[in-house]
Amino acid sequence: MSEEIRVGVYICHCGGNISDVVDVKKVAEELSHYPNVKVSKNYMFMCSDPGQQMIIDDIKQNNINRVVVSACSPALHELTFRKALQRAGLNPHMYENVNIREQVSWVHKGRKEDATRKAIRLTKAGVEKIVRQDPLEAIRVNAERHVAVIGAGVAGMRAAVSLARRGLGVTLIEQADRVGGRLLEMDRIYPTGEKAIDVVNGLAKEVEGEKAISLLLNTQVVGIDGYVGNFTLTLQTGDEKAEVRAGAIVLATGYNHYQPQEGEFGYKESPKVVTLPEFWALLKEDKVSAKHVAFLHCVGSRQFEGLDQPQPDGKVNDYCSRLCCTAGLHAVEQLLERRPDTRVYHVYKDIRTYGRGHEDYYERMSRKGVRFFRYADGEKPEFVGHKLKVRDVLTWGEELEIPVELLVLVTGIMPRDISGIIDALKLPTGVDRFLQEVHPKLRPVELANNGVLVAGCCQGPMDVIESCASAEAAAVKASILLAKGEIELDPYVARVVPEKCDGCQKCLAECEYKGALTMTNRPEGGPLLATVNKALCVGCGACVAVCPTRAIQIAGWSLDQFDAMVDALVSEEYTHA
Amino acid sequence: MKCDALVIGAGIAGLQAALDLADQGKQVILVDRDPSIGGRMINLSKVFPTLDCASCITTPRMASVAHHPNIKTLTYTEVDSVTPVGPRFLAKVTKKPRYIREDLCIGCKRCEEECILYLSDEYDHGLGAKKVVSIPFTNAIPQLPVLDMDECMLCGACAKACPTDAIDFMQEPVHEEIDAGTVILATGYNITPMDAKRQYGGGKLPNVISPFMAERLLAPHGPYGGVMRPSDGKIPSSIAYVQCAGSRDASIGVPYCSRVCCMYAIKQAMLLSGSLPIADITIYYMDIRAFGKGYEQFYQNAKAMGIEFVKAKVAKITEDEEHNPIVRIERQEGTSAPEEVKHDLVVLSLGMVPAWVPDRDGIIPLEVGADSFVRTPRLTAPNLTSLPGVFAAGAATGPKDIVDTIVEASAAAMEASNYLEACAK
Repeated sequence: MSEEIRVGVYICHCGGNISDVVDVKKVAEELSHYPNVKVSKNYMFMCSDPGQQMIIDDIKQNNINRVVVSACSPALHELTFRKALQRAGLNPHMYENVNIREQVSWVHKGRKEDATRKAIRLTKAGVEKIVRQDPLEAIRVNAERHVAVIGAGVAGMRAAVSLARRGLGVTLIEQADRVGGRLLEMDRIYPTGEKAIDVVNGLAKEVEGEKAISLLLNTQVVGIDGYVGNFTLTLQTGDEKAEVRAGAIVLATGYNHYQPQEGEFGYKESPKVVTLPEFWALLKEDKVSAKHVAFLHCVGSRQFEGLDQPQPDGKVNDYCSRLCCTAGLHAVEQLLERRPDTRVYHVYKDIRTYGRGHEDYYERMSRKGVRFFRYADGEKPEFVGHKLKVRDVLTWGEELEIPVELLVLVTGIMPRDISGIIDALKLPTGVDRFLQEVHPKLRPVELANNGVLVAGCCQGPMDVIESCASAEAAAVKASILLAKGEIELDPYVARVVPEKCDGCQKCLAECEYKGALTMTNRPEGGPLLATVNKALCVGCGACVAVCPTRAIQIAGWSLDQFDAMVDALVSEEYTHA
Repeated sequence: MKCDALVIGAGIAGLQAALDLADQGKQVILVDRDPSIGGRMINLSKVFPTLDCASCITTPRMASVAHHPNIKTLTYTEVDSVTPVGPRFLAKVTKKPRYIREDLCIGCKRCEEECILYLSDEYDHGLGAKKVVSIPFTNAIPQLPVLDMDECMLCGACAKACPTDAIDFMQEPVHEEIDAGTVILATGYNITPMDAKRQYGGGKLPNVISPFMAERLLAPHGPYGGVMRPSDGKIPSSIAYVQCAGSRDASIGVPYCSRVCCMYAIKQAMLLSGSLPIADITIYYMDIRAFGKGYEQFYQNAKAMGIEFVKAKVAKITEDEEHNPIVRIERQEGTSAPEEVKHDLVVLSLGMVPAWVPDRDGIIPLEVGADSFVRTPRLTAPNLTSLPGVFAAGAATGPKDIVDTIVEASAAAMEASNYLEACAK
């Protein structure tokens, strides 16, 4: 490579997210004197069109051939800038993203000078890295035009139908002996009052109508491996095992109801205390004869550490379960239709009837004489001797005792236990235990694992409408991914310098990704050679750390690059004065 | 012009739907009545619950749309009618005159610099000023100015300054027809008007502002470069939010919950306490509806930061002679007597109404709900409208936050592409 190295450095203000703390002009000025840097600029929003155009113009007019942008986390805009390089005709991997937002401005508020110094050092390290970068090429793999959808509740069925109509093959996998999932527990569903069974049957008919869907009931997923475009799922139906190959996986594994602990508001201690799903079952069979029924909201939701009993993992459910307010009011409506003379009390923190048509339930139930009592965070009602004791905020803190013949605990929801799948694919979950999307706005139905998508309540509480929307969003992402039958993967994977590898196999022992690393015979003989399957390697670098001869390294993250970055980070402060 | 899909509205929903169709190889025409794509979202400061700056999420999407080989964008264009023709649709659109030749303009802003007349800037919701000929905002796409002919005094300074002779005072509207295979409505929302409620000052109290104005005050590139109140530029030390100021209120015709106001108020309160650390911030509310993923935790963080949440419906807002708003409330905690509280600045948490109502505004024969939002008859296909081949996403079908809007936009793209598949068979 005889071409002169010409680095362009761009410091983003990120509105004020960065520039309120970091002196961006100083960073740009400082970098303009750094070796190999030919252009150094700062701009309000580098990710905006004019910002990207600035880079493109410099590549075309100033022959910039390597680019460093100091801005937000690469999780947000690394791709944005790589695409800009591509548009300018430069290899997209000649780009380095330095994170001076999450790693500098957001964590060093009030220390402007130090933050600026840190931003300068990090950016210099970025320059050192990109100076040593090779032009990498994306890895191309063939993709199966087939999707495995796990779970045949509404979300799973919805995703399957949309995918099949788009021309993709679908295996729809359900562990129960019927489709429909949790919806079948309900009689009618809000906000339309449709029969749940009709909604399920309607979708089931659509599933049946699509020849490209093969529905497997009574089937468990017992193994998953592979990578985007080429997953292999091992399925077990009864004693029989089968394998399915899929280019993408849609997880629609749904939720469990929060199960109150024994004695929680009298649950299991008193026959008068039931959960909302148990109440649905009673309601379906018209077995609710109690004259005074109280609904206690936020059981298993909006909990507080130290105040509520944690789950086995040591965490409380501090999130809102989204559905229970309207579901509770809807249950009351159904009760009052059958038994209009029932006295109903709602004991709640906030009524969250947020969705289209939800507020109407609240309005209607208020008009029908349902009593609402509000308790404050930290002042949990108590169920003692057939009475629900509440300190009611709405009556300026009145201590009330509500005589209750039936207490319905409006329970929240938790993700269904899919630890087998989570472990096999190393899927990310949030502190709330639900599957964690890459970014709620940028990539709301995608997981960090390429080719694995989420639909419905495995990601968080959602009603039928929201579950179906998320299922269709997952379907469209799978369609885009598999449209061409070929997928491009990031080239940041391990590569081996054969001359340096002495076949010690230490790397093999460290590799956690099945099939990513194997030892092969060399055609010319000699020690075994570590060999990387580029599609399976995730570029984690565990092998790099143990290789005694520096034979195995991550493309784009070589040890030479790390050495130079560390040197830049710890070198005596270089100030151009 | 012919395309597979016509997407009406280039806010975050329209952008996402267009991208998800174009990435599948569909040819998309994206139309917006505003001079830039980006919709409401590009106008916001930061967005909940991640507190990413709104521009950081929107601008890359705008750039992707602008550079996508399968997307053609028509800005400053009104849709006059959409008529079903067999399974396809004929759309008539009118490109409004910018009085700028798009083929010649290089976006150098010389015209804007030379122009001597200032106007109230609608992008800053009246808090700032712009020139009569100007590019709508810094990161607008396309980077083309618009000349406001109603206000222009035809001095010709801009035309003289333009290096490419792009100013055209005689430009006429251009009518065009689009033959589209499917239509996605991503027509978004307006906020309820400031003067909807007389009890809250009817929009006449200078220091009672809309949430959009508050967004601009908080935006890093906002009109004042900081948080000041409109009447006198004073930095407020006591700020109040009035929740449900345009929702859950049958008296103004909006009985429904607008779904986003709790969260945007909490978010703005957090941002305010970041830029004005000693200010007291109070949120008067009925119920805090922090229902989305991570929202409850966000609310609890706000409480921990010292933002005061007072359960009280605000009856009335007046002002003293220094334009300090006075809020009349009845607390539901503590004492029961009505009281009046003076603040420096009050933000009305206004609700959402549809930006475009089919049976009011014409254009396309669609059913709407009692709330005037587009009716979506099927629970399990929430983007279908009453007209086959026409799909809706985002706030067009009811109040919605950005997270839910983006998911819906992708879902609408799925339905639209499957409609195209079915028609092709």
